[in-house]
Amino acid sequence: MRQEATSFSAAVGGSQRSPGRAGWLLLAPLIFWAVAFVVAPAVIMLVYSFLSRGTLGGVVLDFTLDNYRGVVDPVYLQIVVRSLIYAGITTVLCLVAGYPVAYLIGRADPRWRNLLLMAVMVPFWTSFLIRTYAWVTILKSEGLLNSILLQLQLIAEPLPMLYTPGAVVLGLVYTFLPFMILPIYSSVEKLDGALVEAALDLGAGPLRAFSRVIVPLTSPGIAAGVLLVFVPSLGIYAINDILGGGRVDMIGNIIENQVKGNARNQPFGAALGTTLLVSFAIIYWFVNRRQRATFS
Amino acid sequence: MTLVRRIFATWTGFVFVFFYLPIVILVLFSFNQSKLNIVWTGFTFEWYAALWHDTVLIRTLKNSLIVATATTAVSVVLGTAGAWLLHRYRYRASGTLETLVFLPMIVPEVILGVSLLILFVTIGLKLGYTTIVISHVTFCFPFVMAAVQARLAGLDPALEEAALDLGATPLQAFTKVLVPYLMPAIVSGALMSFTLSLDELIVTYFTASAGTRTLPLEIFGRVKKGLDPSLNAISTVFIGVTVLAVFLTEMLRRRNP
Amino acid sequence: MNRFVSLALAALASLLLSHAATAAEELNLFAWSEYVPQSVLDDFTKETKIQVNYESYASNEEMLAKLTSGAASYDLIQPSEYIIEAMAKEKLLVPLDHAKLPNLKNIGKEYWGQPHDPKLTYSVPYMQGTVGIAVNTEKIKTPVTGYVDVFTAKNKGRIVVLDDSLEVVTWAMATQGHGPADVTKANIEMTRPVLLQWLPLVKVYDSDSPKTALLNGDVDVGVIWSGEAAILIQEQGKKFAYVLPKEGAHMFIDSLAIPKGAEHVDTAHKFINYILRPEVSKKISEEFPYTNPNVEARKLLSPEERANAASYPPGNPKLETFRDIGPLAADVDKLFTDVKAKSGS
Repeated sequence: MRQEATSFSAAVGGSQRSPGRAGWLLLAPLIFWAVAFVVAPAVIMLVYSFLSRGTLGGVVLDFTLDNYRGVVDPVYLQIVVRSLIYAGITTVLCLVAGYPVAYLIGRADPRWRNLLLMAVMVPFWTSFLIRTYAWVTILKSEGLLNSILLQLQLIAEPLPMLYTPGAVVLGLVYTFLPFMILPIYSSVEKLDGALVEAALDLGAGPLRAFSRVIVPLTSPGIAAGVLLVFVPSLGIYAINDILGGGRVDMIGNIIENQVKGNARNQPFGAALGTTLLVSFAIIYWFVNRRQRATFS
Repeated sequence: MTLVRRIFATWTGFVFVFFYLPIVILVLFSFNQSKLNIVWTGFTFEWYAALWHDTVLIRTLKNSLIVATATTAVSVVLGTAGAWLLHRYRYRASGTLETLVFLPMIVPEVILGVSLLILFVTIGLKLGYTTIVISHVTFCFPFVMAAVQARLAGLDPALEEAALDLGATPLQAFTKVLVPYLMPAIVSGALMSFTLSLDELIVTYFTASAGTRTLPLEIFGRVKKGLDPSLNAISTVFIGVTVLAVFLTEMLRRRNP
Repeated sequence: MNRFVSLALAALASLLLSHAATAAEELNLFAWSEYVPQSVLDDFTKETKIQVNYESYASNEEMLAKLTSGAASYDLIQPSEYIIEAMAKEKLLVPLDHAKLPNLKNIGKEYWGQPHDPKLTYSVPYMQGTVGIAVNTEKIKTPVTGYVDVFTAKNKGRIVVLDDSLEVVTWAMATQGHGPADVTKANIEMTRPVLLQWLPLVKVYDSDSPKTALLNGDVDVGVIWSGEAAILIQEQGKKFAYVLPKEGAHMFIDSLAIPKGAEHVDTAHKFINYILRPEVSKKISEEFPYTNPNVEARKLLSPEERANAASYPPGNPKLETFRDIGPLAADVDKLFTDVKAKSGS
């Protein structure tokens, strides 16, 4: 019987049946939701992106391609590039920092696993705004870190840590690290213990064991983590605003500016949004296909 | 092997320090006397006392809890049903459907918020609880669905067959065999859903109304004026409650494995 | 038959009455996020039993976006002067019934005859302020009199400015001799070299709470809202000084107005009249030390409050309000975004 993988997790077993009328009927709510709240808003945004801005920033029914010309304008492209760089660095850092944590928790004694996971999640039950402002308190010129460094006489003058690109990356990594840890943990947890032991015992050394065996086996988790970190971090605007002193504008800030800010140009915001949405959809569909191919 | 473990454990320790440093700071500053929350001037409980009288903050907290609960309920139903249906039946459209379902999870919230607002305006739906819950569910239920799908992947099909063979009706097989099996995934998805909804700011900004302000929106508004320690206080209360809840559930779990 | 009719009428009457009762119970206020003290709202509710739903925004454009999207209905908004001009042009504001606003007489004479709403047809001034230079006098000893003194190489990395393209570009235009009434495509573009020189020197862009960077010691000088500077002076006294740039400063008038489509127009008038009471207005001034347009309320302020140079600037500074510049707002924003991106990191 032909088997079809359903997502990152491979479908196991051959009990997949052809859906009868009941099957389709039961699926109807899901289809309705997807159409009503994913497809419809996207279509409307697409339509808006071809309209013109009204005097007060709304839309008027004047068809135009100006908004898309704006998307490829060098002024905005430089910001797109910058966003890609920041998102990329954040993703790499999250991966490097998060993998060991996910691995440790995944292979830990079941008694401690849940507690460790909760320990990862608990900070994220506070408002992300307040967490980000707490970093301001830590990083500013008269803040915690500088005070400690000055006390220990490691520096003579306060270091300008806040309102720098570094601070923005710190804030991004802080916000998105759990989104990398959790999917990888999920993959690690499913690893066959014997396989891992074998890889590490057969004299290859931990580095090769990891790179040749363990990491590839956890690739679904890594892929999920990368998607969950890279893509949303492209669209943030609050973290870089607060920690970057408003100097590090990203795509999210531009879009926000068109809709809520000085520019009053909703159609342009819609055009940027549509472009991003289509790019994400393509990336996601592509990654999904590769995962399905690997696991069917 | 133990060397690797030890290195990873030390690293994890650092990561946890990293995670909790701002939390410790914000808890500490909730006891700070200075209103401007910039330098430490003295110890006080006044911000916690102020919370009690802060009707606006409490009202928004209530709104957030209502929204989060509704969101989680709908997300669990949609996510579990969706995951099970896609696992059970071979739909031609499953790939496309999945992409559509998972897209809101990764799309930047600004875009999600703007497009949903435009949708609600176009169909004439007035902003309020309904619109907030709809927007939250849209990016929360994929998490439930993903968690349940992962769990279903490890399901032994013989289990369900056995139940049916032993005289259970399909509904009984579903509720007495499948759902208990899926429970850990449902719970983790529900937790994720609840957490995301509770802290959600950007999408909510676009889809809420004056009467249905949520806690993050209220905090956002106040934080603009300057970080009032009462906001630290409410965050500390939040953390305290969740840590307590976590401990209790762990205790319970250990008593009844 | 008669009984049926009278019953029906009674039912209808009670329905209408209950609707009227519920209609008067709420007021949807859409205002700046740091502008209406909760105590003022609570007192209003205590007195009138009307619940005030306070939703906030951080910029005029945010307010417009939400308003024009038609998704929510508001009874009162708090636009700045150039937005009132734009909205009045588009017929988006409900003309005020001055008969319902007896306390309007408390507003100072200088607020009548302003270009955006000369007869106060659509708006009632809520708070007035300026955008000027706040200086940490302990760090900067040389006199600061204008924008040129702020944006010098000496102050590199020690400056905070508002994250507002219209503001910053207008300041640059002022140094070239153009006022807010002369915004043209050419004049906007002419500011590019000025901005290219200024923006690399800026450390923080912040429209929400620019005083924070000054208080933190991360910056020594800034061009910020007068209310923020007033708080600096209140908190730290002589350490901070507020100077209105000699090239010309923005005077903004934030007013209360009723948008078209408001459900509770009468209640809105009631609220405006309530705000115009001197004792209420004084309470607002105490929390937000901008310039109070209510001359009766000014009389109730303490001597320190009246002496605060940021709230009540002495002398005769060059002040101008902003005008509605329509589609040129997009050009202003694009220039600002471009130079900011090239100057930042």
